[in-house]
Parts: sequence; C-alpha cells; structure tokens
Amino acid sequence: MNRVPPFAGRAVLVLWFLLPLIPVVLWAISNRWSFPGSVPQEWGFDGVRSALDAGGADAFMRSTLLALAVAAIATPLGALAARALVNGNVRCPAVVAGVLFAPVALPPFAVALGLDVLVLRSRIPSTVAVIALLTVAAIPYTTYLMRVAFGAYDIGYEEEARTLGASNAMVLRRIRIPLLAPALAGAALLAFLVAWSDYVITLLIGGGRLVTVPILVASFAAGTGNDSVVAALSVAAVVPPLLLVLMLARLRRRSAR
Amino acid sequence: MTIAASAGLLLTACAAPDSEAPIAEAQSWSEIEQQAQGQTVSLWMYGGDEQGNAYVDDVLTPAAAEEGVTLRRVPVESTTDAVTRILSERQAGVTDGEVDLVWVNGANFGTGKQAGAWLCGWTQNLPNMELTDPEDPLLLDDFGTPVDNCESPWHKAQFTLVYNAAAIPDPPTTFDGVLDWARANPGRFTYPAPPDFTGSVFLREALINASGGVDEVPARFDQDSYDRLTPALFDRLNELAPSLWREGTTYPQSSSELDALYAGGQVDMTMTYGPATLPKLVADGTFPPETRVLTLDEGTVGNASFLAIPSTSGKSAAAQVVANLALSPEQQLAKATPDVWGQFTVLDLDQLTPESRAQFEALPSSTVLPSYEELSANAHPELSADWVSPLDEGWRRSVLAGQ
Repeated sequence: MNRVPPFAGRAVLVLWFLLPLIPVVLWAISNRWSFPGSVPQEWGFDGVRSALDAGGADAFMRSTLLALAVAAIATPLGALAARALVNGNVRCPAVVAGVLFAPVALPPFAVALGLDVLVLRSRIPSTVAVIALLTVAAIPYTTYLMRVAFGAYDIGYEEEARTLGASNAMVLRRIRIPLLAPALAGAALLAFLVAWSDYVITLLIGGGRLVTVPILVASFAAGTGNDSVVAALSVAAVVPPLLLVLMLARLRRRSAR
Repeated sequence: MTIAASAGLLLTACAAPDSEAPIAEAQSWSEIEQQAQGQTVSLWMYGGDEQGNAYVDDVLTPAAAEEGVTLRRVPVESTTDAVTRILSERQAGVTDGEVDLVWVNGANFGTGKQAGAWLCGWTQNLPNMELTDPEDPLLLDDFGTPVDNCESPWHKAQFTLVYNAAAIPDPPTTFDGVLDWARANPGRFTYPAPPDFTGSVFLREALINASGGVDEVPARFDQDSYDRLTPALFDRLNELAPSLWREGTTYPQSSSELDALYAGGQVDMTMTYGPATLPKLVADGTFPPETRVLTLDEGTVGNASFLAIPSTSGKSAAAQVVANLALSPEQQLAKATPDVWGQFTVLDLDQLTPESRAQFEALPSSTVLPSYEELSANAHPELSADWVSPLDEGWRRSVLAGQ
C-alpha cells in the first residue's frame, strides 16, 4: 500500500515546492536586490527588522492562536458531520452535504460583506465572530476529509472491542480516535490553513483588532520597495504550516507501521 | 415562529441608515481634551508606506500618549477596507465602532461623505487649524467634494513624474514634451492602467493637457463636457499606445508594478502621487541613484490628504485631540523631515512663529526631491471625484479595448 514513489519523481516534487521559495528566502535576507542582479547586491536583515518593528512577532502569535482555535473547533465538528453523513443518520444527505460545502463555493469577500452587519448588530465580540466565520469556512474541508476516512473505517474493530466488554468511552479513546488519528490530523491541518491565510474576514469582521500575518503582508505588499519585509513575513508564515505537514507525515508513517 | 419573528426584525432593521452626516457636539476644546483622557484611538491607514508607519509609531504615538491618548495603528491594504467597515457599522447602528480615525482623501472621502460615514463640523474647533490658510483651495475641496469640516488636513501631495537622468540626459519640460519623448523612445514609457489611483491621475492630467489647459475642463463633472473633451484625449492615447512599453498591448496593473518596471530599468519614467517616498527608494537602492523629479512648466495636480473621524466612532474626543496634534508645527515639521517621512506641510508658514518658520525653511533639501514650492509651481487642484469613474471607464473602452 505505502509504496514510495521512485526517486526521480520525489526529487521533482521537492523541487516543485522548494523552487518558488528560494527567491523569497533570498529576498528575506537581502537589503538590496535590484534588477538585473541575479543575486542580492547587499545581504542583511533590514526586512526582518522592519517586520519585527511593524509588530510581526505579535501578529505571528495572533495568527497562530486564531488558526489553532479554528482547527480545534472545525475538526471535531467536521468529524461529527462526516460520521452522520456516512452512517446515513441524515435525511436528504445530498442537501445537507450541499449546505455544508457551500462556503467553499462562496467568495470570502461576499461572506464577510453579507454577514458583518448581522454580526455587528448581534453584538458578538469581534474575535469570537472571526473564529466562528472562519470555522464555517473550514468545516467543508474537515467534513470532506473525515467523510473519506469514515468511508474506509472498519467498524469491525469497534464491534470486537464491544464484545470484549469495552465501554463507549473506551471504544472512542482506544479504538476510534487512534484509528482515525491521521485523518483527524489532516483535517486539523486544513482548518488551520484556512484561518492562517485569511485576510478579508479577519480584517472586516475582526474590525482591525486582530492584526494577523496576512494583514501585515497585504498592507506591505501594496507599497513599493517593501519586497524584503514582505519576504521576511512570508517566510515566517510558511514555517508553521510546514512544521505541521512534517508532523503529520511522521504521524502517518507511525500509524502505517 | 421565533426565528421568523427575529428574521423579520433583522430585515426591517436593515433599512438604509440616515445618510445625513452627523454633526459633532458643540463642546469647548478643554472639555474635549478632558474627555479624551485615557481613550484609545484606532487609526486605520494604508500600511504599504514604511516611513509613514514608522512616523506614526515612533513620533505621533508617543506624542499622543503625552496628551493622555493611546494611538493604535491598524495597517490596511487599501483605505477602502476602512470605509467598508465603517459603512457596515453604520448600517448596524453601532456607536462605538472599531475605527476612530482614517487617513483618507479623494473618492473614499467622497463616497463616505455621501453615506454619512464621517463626523462633520469639528475641524474648525481644532486650535491648530488657525495655523492653516483658510483660503487654501487644497484644504477646502477634496477632489471636488467640499471638506465642510468633516476631515482635518494632514499633508500635501503633488502628482509627479519621475525619470532616470542617466537614461534621459535632456528631459522634457512639458506634458507634450513627455509624449513626444515617449514616441521618440518606443517601449521606454507607460502608465498604470486606470482605475489604479496613479494611472487615473495620469489620465486626468492627460485630459487637462489635451483640452488645452486646466481652465478648459470644468471641475464639476457634466456629461456634455465629457462628450466634448474626451474624444481628443482617447485619440491621443490610442495614437501613443504603439510607442509604449510592450506596444501598449498591456499596461502595468498598479503603480507598484510601474515602479518595479522603472526600478528594473525596463522603462525610464515612473510617476507617483506621493513623491515623499522617492528619497528613501533611491537611498535603499530600489530606484536608480540618478532618479530625478520631472517638473512640468504647466504644473501638475496637487491634493491634500486628511484625517477623518467616522460617525460610528465612540472616541471622537480623543480622535480630535490626535488630529489637532497631527497639525501642530512640531508634528508637521517632524513629518516633513526627509529622513522621517518627507511629507509636505499643510500649515501656512506665514502664520507660524519666526522660529518654527525658520525650522521649516531650514529643512534639508534632497537631490531627488525638489522643495514643495518648486514641485507645486502652477499646481492645479483635482477635478471632482465624479470625473474619475467615467474617465476610467472611457479609457477601458476606448484605449484598452481599442488594441
């Protein structure tokens, strides 16, 4: 099952992902790199310094907490929705699935513009509203991933455990969660990414309270001569998802053993 | 039942809000200062200008803290994001919104004013307003929208053409000369595609030029003038197109893209409405060292940018204190210093004390950026914002689609 792709294919894949990152990393550690130089004329950390001056560290913390909160809510909700859909506990599953997946089809700008008056009028604290809306945007992804996982899930293990006298809690803890762990981690990663990269909802619904990494990147990228700041922020923004992907890969490998 | 009832409630509550701009409460300045104590002001501003960010964080914010006001900068990609947020808050009837002060001008101010997004009738009470010239047309009209004490001036800007003196040793001095030069040097000139802000200014400048001068174009938009004046403009730009970068088959999408082409030596001219950033762009090597400003004999359009207080802000007292502080000679001088931000002051130097006047006059000059007097010689005010969309749309249909 777990066949390793041939060496060449793997190398091409790695290149495909790494190549676009090389100029960004170079930009992040150069003070001056003007056309037509193929390498920076002056190395340095001005971009990193500017990013820190602009509150990059706080923005990074805020982004991380926001994305973790969204992942923590959207993953179990997606799992529950997926289980209900797979087990046939839902009437008109096609309609329900359609509603669940609708946020993917709607542009976030339309969602944000349509809902912010409602959110403002309901007096929900802006941070809570941002987490709620991003969770809605993330649920289609977590549901989809978990639906596939439940589809391939062998209920036999659970039945076996129950005949041996395991309680519901024990089945959940010792059988279901460990067996679904790789899928749950993948779903959490997707939910994390949805919140991690959002600009529109975070700014318009959050009312500027949550200055996250994408907001800093977008505002700097709108100006001239900010390439090194934008690059420094972007490199920082790639690190957490990358770490999560690596952790996920390790988890997969361990559970495959 | 409950759901239907609350949905109905929400729908009726969604009726369009009063578009009349609210007027600030009449209060003495000392009352306002008192109220401002301990308040936090969220200033929403375009975040792409690093020097502007640094000025607000390192100079304006500490000075506001001394007045008892905490200033918090919210960086946005475009001022439109702030207006969008304010309009939603207004629609929802929020009176303690998340936006307390906005760096704004032009169309964003105009649309906001139409929708009653700004608090009005407060700038005349700012003590430092006395240091500005009450007759200054740039401070009375913002792209043709009367300011009506709905925003307080912050600094002036001038539309500026910029060239590489190494590539153009003998630069043109008139707008016609620039177009002639572009034809003589195919591929070395272009302009950002409207509705980009800078591309749009270039278009208005070209309209004024093609119409025979600023007096020939009525500042207020009317369809007859548009129909009469624009054919000549679009003919001219169409005729120019084959001499542009990539034969005019494509245009830079934004002024940053044009700047990138200029920085990379693919074109020899760029243009900006914010010449204050030029010395830094040269100093940090983004722009070539031979970058110079091209002043035109007939002048270019100038404008002022402003600080506006949203009508949804619950902290208008503290916002007024910050706006007044931003107008003080100390802040205006600091901001005008090229190393800090280099923005031209809105103060009338004749109204200042001899010492502060001398300080303004002693500001170091730059080889890149001439003084405001030189830059704004023969400057003309902006056309009304109502001109902007028809012109941009006309350009899209006549010039862009004409390829």
